[in-house]
Amino acid sequence: MNLFFLVGIGGAVGFLSGLFGVGGGFLLTPLLIFTGVPAPVAVASVTGQVVAASTSGALSYYRRGQIDLHLALYLVLSGVLGAFGGVATFSMLRAAGQLDLVISLGFLVILGLVGTMMMIESVRAMFKRRAGVVARERLPHQHNWIHGLPWRIRFKKSKLYISVIPVLVLGLCIGFIGSLLGIGGGFILVPALVYLLRVPGNVVIGTSLLQVVAMMAATLILHAVQSQSVDILLAFCLMVGGVIGAQFGASAGQYLRGEQLRAMLAALVLAVAIRFGLSLVLAPADPWSMAVVGAGGVM
Amino acid sequence: MRIFCALILLIALVVPAGAQRLVSTLSNQTVAISSSFDGETLTMFGNVEPAEETPLAAPQGPYEVVILVTGPLTDRVARRKTRQFGIWINTEQVLFERFPSYFHVLASRPLAEITTPATLAAEGILPEVQAERAARTDWWSATIYARELVRLMTERRYFGVEEPGVRFLSTTAYSAQLTLPHDVPNGAFLATTLVFSDGEIVARRAERFNVRKVGFERFLGNAAVQYPLFYGVFCVFLALFTGWLGGVVFKR
Repeated sequence: MNLFFLVGIGGAVGFLSGLFGVGGGFLLTPLLIFTGVPAPVAVASVTGQVVAASTSGALSYYRRGQIDLHLALYLVLSGVLGAFGGVATFSMLRAAGQLDLVISLGFLVILGLVGTMMMIESVRAMFKRRAGVVARERLPHQHNWIHGLPWRIRFKKSKLYISVIPVLVLGLCIGFIGSLLGIGGGFILVPALVYLLRVPGNVVIGTSLLQVVAMMAATLILHAVQSQSVDILLAFCLMVGGVIGAQFGASAGQYLRGEQLRAMLAALVLAVAIRFGLSLVLAPADPWSMAVVGAGGVM
Repeated sequence: MRIFCALILLIALVVPAGAQRLVSTLSNQTVAISSSFDGETLTMFGNVEPAEETPLAAPQGPYEVVILVTGPLTDRVARRKTRQFGIWINTEQVLFERFPSYFHVLASRPLAEITTPATLAAEGILPEVQAERAARTDWWSATIYARELVRLMTERRYFGVEEPGVRFLSTTAYSAQLTLPHDVPNGAFLATTLVFSDGEIVARRAERFNVRKVGFERFLGNAAVQYPLFYGVFCVFLALFTGWLGGVVFKR
């Protein structure tokens, strides 16, 4: 693989991640797979890029005191547990020859759902803006069924008194999906924290970023130990490109309106989902493939 | 003089057909893969000499030479996708145990003209034979999967048959060139040279050479396999440092 190509692809995705304020793993992993990087290597190496991309953000939110450390602790602990499950599943699927299939299906379902929801929401917002209606956001203190669950804990910073069950389940799911697909999961975690747990807006992004950094760091180590498919050079090229690209993306993002940005991101997410869908449905160029499954001993 | 001729004739009759000696050498004993490696050409030379018991009997040509270059063995699977519920899924796989990760055949003439199919099969000269031997399945699947695996390996230039790949410089001296691709597998290689005369093997010789990464590449490759925990922790620190540095440099 060409060094400049990798830094370039990392830069392009970094630009998008800065533009849209997302981690970029859910775009980078598919892009690498589409350009011919083996899926296991792509997933494991992008994990490193996600850590790098989220670190500076997490630090600056931490300095501004916009992280609920108590909530993050619960999310990270369950997230790491989920990552153990994810990496074990990853190795099992790889041995069975079904890893590529599950990665494609996973991206198709998750990106398809998220993309559709984002598209509907942003188009609706655009129409409302045109019609001159001021969108009323639901208040964070309104309750739903999740707040009726037992084992309630007080999270002071988030001004929440909620059950730990949804927090742990959320962390577990994000850890599992994130380690299996090589995504940080911020684009699932943030809406879940806002809409399900009613975490106030000022601590959502910071807490989510910290969770992504800690969980993906653990995932990276697990991948290195268990599947040994982390390519440090690939990861480093992506990191450098990603960190630089994100700066330009962030400044470009200030010239676009929120719902336009979200609509563009939704279109991008849907395009990637469709590409995965096509790769599953269309007849492959070569139905045969091969893989090394072990050392054969000496001659 | 007549006695001398008779003696030579006698020796020639007594010594069996497979009694020639082969001297050969390789241009490199070690192929080093550095970060700028993009393939390397290996040259093999040799000469057919009289057998040691009959140092005076000049080798009688014409000879044909076949060189088998075998790379490190691995366990490999070949998989086939079929359509299930509208999507393409890997449904079947066949295991090939101790299968060469690299196998090239260099021959001085088309193999079919050198010897019989039975000999080619018995000596494992054809890539398909190598694959069929390694397959752990019934005969029918082995045949199909072996053919496809050899095709995949050939597409990636790990397998190949070059005829003519060996050039004769005289009736007994030959040279051959082998180009190793940029992504050649690492490990111990075996170059087996077979000398044929009238379809029979009259001499054989095997030589080893090593392909290995050097410098930084070797360090990284070793670290990832031997100290995976350390490697993983280092990756995390690298990522944290890069992210932090980016934040400091761009004052985010």
